[in-house]
Amino acid sequence: MSAIGDRSGTPPPPQTLLDSASVQPVSDSPEPPARVRRRRHRSLLPLFLLAPAVLLFLLFTVAPGGYAIYLSFMRMKVGGGLLGDQNPTQVFAGLQNYHAAFADSEFWHSILRMLFVAVIGVPATIVFSTLFALCLDAKRARLVGFARLAIFLPYAVPGVVATLLWGFIYLPATSPIGGATFDYFGSRSVFFSVANVAVWGVLGFNMVVVYTSLRGLPRELFEAAEIDGASELQIALRVKLPLLAPTLTLVTVFSLIGALQLFNEPNTLKPITNAISSTWVPLMRVYTDAFVTNDIYKGAAASFLLIVLTVTATVLANAVLRRISRRSER
Amino acid sequence: MRKTHARTAAVLGLAVTAAVPSVAGCSSSGSSPASSGPVTLAFVNWDGGMQAVVDQWNKENPNIQVKLSKPAGTGYTLYNKLITNNAAGTNPDVTEVEYQALPALISNKVIVPVDQYVGDLSGQFSKASLAQVQFEGKTYGVPQNICPMVFFYRKDIFDQLGLTAPTTWAQYAQDAAAVHAHNPKQYIGNFSAVDSGWFAGLAQQAGANWWTASGTTWNVGIDDAATQKVADYWSNLIQQGLVSPEPNWSPQWSTDMDNGTIIGWVSAQWAPNQLPSIAKDTAGKWVAAALPAWTAGDSTVGIWGGETEAVTSNSKHPAEAAKFVKWMNSSAEGVKLLIQNVDVFPASLANQSQDALKTPPPFMSDQPDYNTLMAQAAQNVRTFQIWGPNANVTFDAYSNDFAAALQNKSPLSGALTQMQQATVSDMRQRGFNVTTS
Repeated sequence: MSAIGDRSGTPPPPQTLLDSASVQPVSDSPEPPARVRRRRHRSLLPLFLLAPAVLLFLLFTVAPGGYAIYLSFMRMKVGGGLLGDQNPTQVFAGLQNYHAAFADSEFWHSILRMLFVAVIGVPATIVFSTLFALCLDAKRARLVGFARLAIFLPYAVPGVVATLLWGFIYLPATSPIGGATFDYFGSRSVFFSVANVAVWGVLGFNMVVVYTSLRGLPRELFEAAEIDGASELQIALRVKLPLLAPTLTLVTVFSLIGALQLFNEPNTLKPITNAISSTWVPLMRVYTDAFVTNDIYKGAAASFLLIVLTVTATVLANAVLRRISRRSER
Repeated sequence: MRKTHARTAAVLGLAVTAAVPSVAGCSSSGSSPASSGPVTLAFVNWDGGMQAVVDQWNKENPNIQVKLSKPAGTGYTLYNKLITNNAAGTNPDVTEVEYQALPALISNKVIVPVDQYVGDLSGQFSKASLAQVQFEGKTYGVPQNICPMVFFYRKDIFDQLGLTAPTTWAQYAQDAAAVHAHNPKQYIGNFSAVDSGWFAGLAQQAGANWWTASGTTWNVGIDDAATQKVADYWSNLIQQGLVSPEPNWSPQWSTDMDNGTIIGWVSAQWAPNQLPSIAKDTAGKWVAAALPAWTAGDSTVGIWGGETEAVTSNSKHPAEAAKFVKWMNSSAEGVKLLIQNVDVFPASLANQSQDALKTPPPFMSDQPDYNTLMAQAAQNVRTFQIWGPNANVTFDAYSNDFAAALQNKSPLSGALTQMQQATVSDMRQRGFNVTTS
C-alpha cells in the first residue's frame, strides 16, 4: 500500500499493474484525478487518526479548563431569607478570588510545604533510581529480572493503598519500625514521612526509565573503557552517567511535576495524624475549597494559579537541566 | 452493495418491529406518572442495618420500591457531593442528613420542604428535635433520632483501679490523673481534632450558642465564654498529658481502644453501633454513664450527630419519598425496625417507650437499662439555637486549627479564635448579614 502512495509521476512498471487494479476497480478512469484524490486521502488520514485524541483532549481537558477559568472570576451570592435559599445567584467577582488566594498566607505556606517535600523527594528519587539502574546494569549483577520487578512493583500499588500501608507502618500502635519510640508525624519528620511514601511509589518507574536508556547505550564504549583498564565503578561514573544526562533530565522533570501534584499521600494520611491539615499542600487546598468548604470559585482560582506556577516551573527546570546536560556532554 | 442494502433493510425492519410494542407500552401507562405504576426511589444512607428496614417497606409497598445504596464517603463527603450533583440533577430521591448539615443543603437548594406531605409534626416530636429540621416555618425532614452525649468506659478496668464513672468534669480530670499515675501509658480518653461535632456537643452542654439568628441576621459566637471554658478545660488536660491527642477513627485509636490503652470515650448514643468495628474484642466490657456535668446535679447534655432523612429537589416523586421517610422515622413499625437493626434512640416521642428499647444494643449486653439512660439524657438535651449555613467551613477550620494546636502544643483557645474568624469571613463573603457578640 505504502509503495503505491510513495510513487510519484513515473509510469507504473508492469509488475504493479495487478496491484493498482486491485486498489482501483475502475481502471479506465484518467490517472491524474485519481492521484489527486489519493493524495488528499493521505493528508486527511493523520487528522482522522488524531481526531479521537484531540476530541477527548478538547472535551475533557480544554473545555473543563476553560470552564474553571470562567468560574474563577465568579462567586455565589446568597439570595434572600435567613438561609439565603431564595434565588441565590452566581455573580461576577473580578479578581476577588485570585486576590483571596494571593493574600492568604496559608496558600503560600502550602506551597512551601510542598517544596519541602519536593526538596527531599526529588533528589532521593533521582539518586536512588539511577543507583539501582547502574547496579542492575553492572556486569556482576545477579537476579536482575527479580530485582527489577521487586523495585518496580511499588509503582503498581495505587497511591492510596500504599499510603494506608505506610500509615500503619508509621503509627506507634502498629509500627514494625519503631513508631513507638520515634514520632513519624512530628512537625519536621512528617515531611520525610510523606516524601518517603511518594519516593517509594515512583522510584520503580524512574528506575525502569533510566535502566532502559542504559541498555540502549552502545556496549562497545564500556568494553573499550574496560580494555583501557577502567574499573566497574569508573565505567559507571565516567562513562555511563554522562551518557545518561538527557534521560536524567527527563526523569527530573517528571519528578518535579509529580512533586507539584502531591495530593494522594498527605490527603490519605490526614485523618490519622494531627500533623497534616486539609490545606497542607496546594492541591489539597484546591480540593478543600471546592469540595469541603463548598467554594468552587476560590478552588478554580487557586488551581489556575497552580497551573501557571507548574508550567513556569517545568519550563524553567527543563531549560536549566538541558543547559547542564549539554555542558556535561562536552 | 446490494447485499448491504438488503442487510440494512432487514436490520431496520427488525428495529421497527421491536420498537412498536415498546411505543404501545409507553402510551398505555403514560398519562399519570404519580399515581399509577410502581415508583422506584433511590435512598442514600450509610448506617449499618438499614437494609432490613428498607426490605420490610418494600415488602409492604409494592408500588413504592426503595433502593438503598451506601455512599462512597460519609458526612461532608456525601453532602458536598449532593451539592455538586444537584446542578446536574442526579441526586437520589432520599438522603440521610445529619442535623448540622441541613442549613447548608437548604441554602444550596439541594433539599425541599416536606410540610405538604408529612403534615403537622408538632405533637409527635419534642421542640428540640423539631428545631433541628424546621427553618423559617418550613419542615425539611422527619427527625429520626436523638443522640445525647454519654460517657462510655471500660468497667472492668475502672473497677480494678477502684474508680467509678465521673459525674462531674472536675472528677473526670481527677480520674484522668489517677489512671495516668497508675500506668503512664494508659489514658481515660482522647481529644479528637477530627470530630468537630463532638466538640460542638461539649460546647452545647456548657451553654454555648455558636449561631443565633434573628430575622435574617446571624450572630456567630464560636469563641464565646462557654466554648472558651470547654477549650481551656481540655487544654489543661492535654498539657498535663492526661488525655491522648490521637484523632478518633485512626488505626492507632482503634488499637488503643481495643487493647485497653484508652479506657474511656466521651461519645454519644450511637456508639454501640460503632464499637464493634473499633474495639471488637471488648464486647460487654463497656458501660455507658451520664456525661460528666459542669456543676454537680446538672443533667444538661449536648448532642453529637443525629439525623433526618430529607427529600431532594432532584426527586421526581417527592410525595412518595416523604411518605417513606415519615413511615420510617415516626410509625411504630418503622421505628421498631430502626431500633432493632440500626440501634437508634428514636426522636419520635410516642416511640420512646417501645418494648424494643428494653433490649440493649448487642455490644452493651451487660447493661440492660442502656436505653433508660438514653431516655433520661434525651430529655435534657440542649442544642445551639440553629446550625449555621456554612457549618462545613467551621468544621474544616476545627479540624485544621485544633489539630495544629495539638501538634504544636499550643492552647486550644487560639484555635477557637481562628474558627470564629474563618466562619464569619466566609459568611460575609457569601453575602449573609453577620454580627459577632
